[in-house]
Amino acid sequence: MIVLTALVLLLLALFGAPLFAIIAASALLAFSREEIDLSAVAIEFFSLAEMPVLIAIPLFTFAGYLLSESGAPRRLVRVTSALFGWMPGGLAVVAVAACAFFTAFTGASGVTIIALGAILYPALREAAYDDRFNLGLVTSAGSLGLLFAPSLPLILYGVVAQIPVDDLFRAGVAPGMLMLVMLATYCIVVNRERRQPLSSFSWREVGAALREAVWELPLPIVVLGGIYSGYFAVSEAAAVTALYVLFIDVVVLREVSLRRLPGIMRESMLLVGGIMVILGVSLASTNIMIDAGVPQQLLGFISGFVSDQTTFLLLMLLFLLLLGAILDIFSALVLVVPLMLPVAASFDVDPVHLGMVFLATMQLGYLTPPVGLNLFIAGYRFDKPIVDVYLSTLPFFAILLVSVVIIAFWPELSLWLLRPS
Amino acid sequence: MIRRLGHAVAWIEDAALVLVLLALIGLATTEIVLRNVFDTGLVWAPELTRLMVLWLALLGAVVASRSDRHIRIDVLARLLPPRGRLVVTLLVDVFTIGVLALLCFHSARFVLDAYEFEDTLLEALPAWWFQIILPIGFGLMVLHQLVLAFARLMALAGRPIAIERGE
Repeated sequence: MIVLTALVLLLLALFGAPLFAIIAASALLAFSREEIDLSAVAIEFFSLAEMPVLIAIPLFTFAGYLLSESGAPRRLVRVTSALFGWMPGGLAVVAVAACAFFTAFTGASGVTIIALGAILYPALREAAYDDRFNLGLVTSAGSLGLLFAPSLPLILYGVVAQIPVDDLFRAGVAPGMLMLVMLATYCIVVNRERRQPLSSFSWREVGAALREAVWELPLPIVVLGGIYSGYFAVSEAAAVTALYVLFIDVVVLREVSLRRLPGIMRESMLLVGGIMVILGVSLASTNIMIDAGVPQQLLGFISGFVSDQTTFLLLMLLFLLLLGAILDIFSALVLVVPLMLPVAASFDVDPVHLGMVFLATMQLGYLTPPVGLNLFIAGYRFDKPIVDVYLSTLPFFAILLVSVVIIAFWPELSLWLLRPS
Repeated sequence: MIRRLGHAVAWIEDAALVLVLLALIGLATTEIVLRNVFDTGLVWAPELTRLMVLWLALLGAVVASRSDRHIRIDVLARLLPPRGRLVVTLLVDVFTIGVLALLCFHSARFVLDAYEFEDTLLEALPAWWFQIILPIGFGLMVLHQLVLAFARLMALAGRPIAIERGE
């Protein structure tokens, strides 16, 4: 009977039922099986209002959407060009760095490809880079930066795993840099024939680019500096960011008119609502699964044929790759992490390290069919068939996969900033 | 008439969303200024901001329902021919409406309980003032899902209609 309902729910999900409805249905079914009053689902959902870190999610998302509607993406590209444009294959490196930075701020929701890709893709083509390379680069860089503060998935992992978000922000720096540097190196190597740099380095251009971006400059300093130094709590940094971005884009620079503001707010809150409603109902379904001892059964099942940490990590990587191919990062996070944490703990995997592996692998899910979000957005945005987009990302996918394996089997990379000893 | 009603509902939802978001930004930053500059704080502010986040979550989900843009995996539906896809989507709609109606009903019971037991939040305010967003939110989501299903039914019958999505 349970198997049958699970199959029906799976089929409904594959035919396009909203994920929150699937999760809510399974929670309702589980509660009624245990003869618990169904209003418990509402009580669990209401506990969304008991998680202080969640405040950061709507605020950062709104700030990110607003930034992407302003001239900030163009200015960001100009600053990065001034800094990195002198390297061979410079423009490609610019693209990687700018995308990573922007994604961290906009929470990996596909906004990067739309806001930055629209500038970088034509620029790369004009600089006579190979078209397939450009498409692959812009598509795969669109989710780079997921491991840097203040990205939405990092915050959400902290909420779900009940780990201080500051720890995750610190932990993400080195693995995030690894992914970034590996991708940038690949870009340089592929374009080594292209000795002609984008421009020669000029302090004057750096100064001009920085001056143009003078209003945005405090943002990374306040947010990253504030969070990493511990001066601001994450939710405080989010509030300051939202107010500041609202102020500069609407009042100072006037790049976003008041009339467009409600639309931008609605778009950003649509994403927030979509994620949080899944989080709310999965609080209910997770609790009943934990009460029913699902993690222990899972552990018993896995330890039947896995005994050491290495095998466990390898198996987990494979599982997460498959998961990332069918689920988006947010749903996967709230559904799987609570069940995975106790199992990982018994194999001595640090929850912070698990988070890095989880998010880095899920980042690859943006590039794998059938539901790779970046593939669809890039295909739509640049008017290319999905298959072409997919093929163009393969070399980048391979590089990122290698970096994920390194992150998984080198825990110190994620943990060394946490334990300064 | 019905079109204007749909328009009004969408307008009210959007207005509520904008107001709550602006209030959240305002309250959260005021709290920071008070704490860092004046070394004081509003006792009720942290709890109120958390409640606002819950409201944003539900209002955002309502807008996602209205625009038919909830997070989903529709791999199989993509493979079907247009008409078959419409039929399957209608069946899925029925399921979604059922789940949402249950969520609405049981969260209404939850709020009613809080009302009868005179639960309070924020020192002394009735808790149901804040919890009421649950049945309202899920109720509005039922409404939008019904409208979507109706539009698909009409499309299936060869008489497509335009619906308010407020975009």
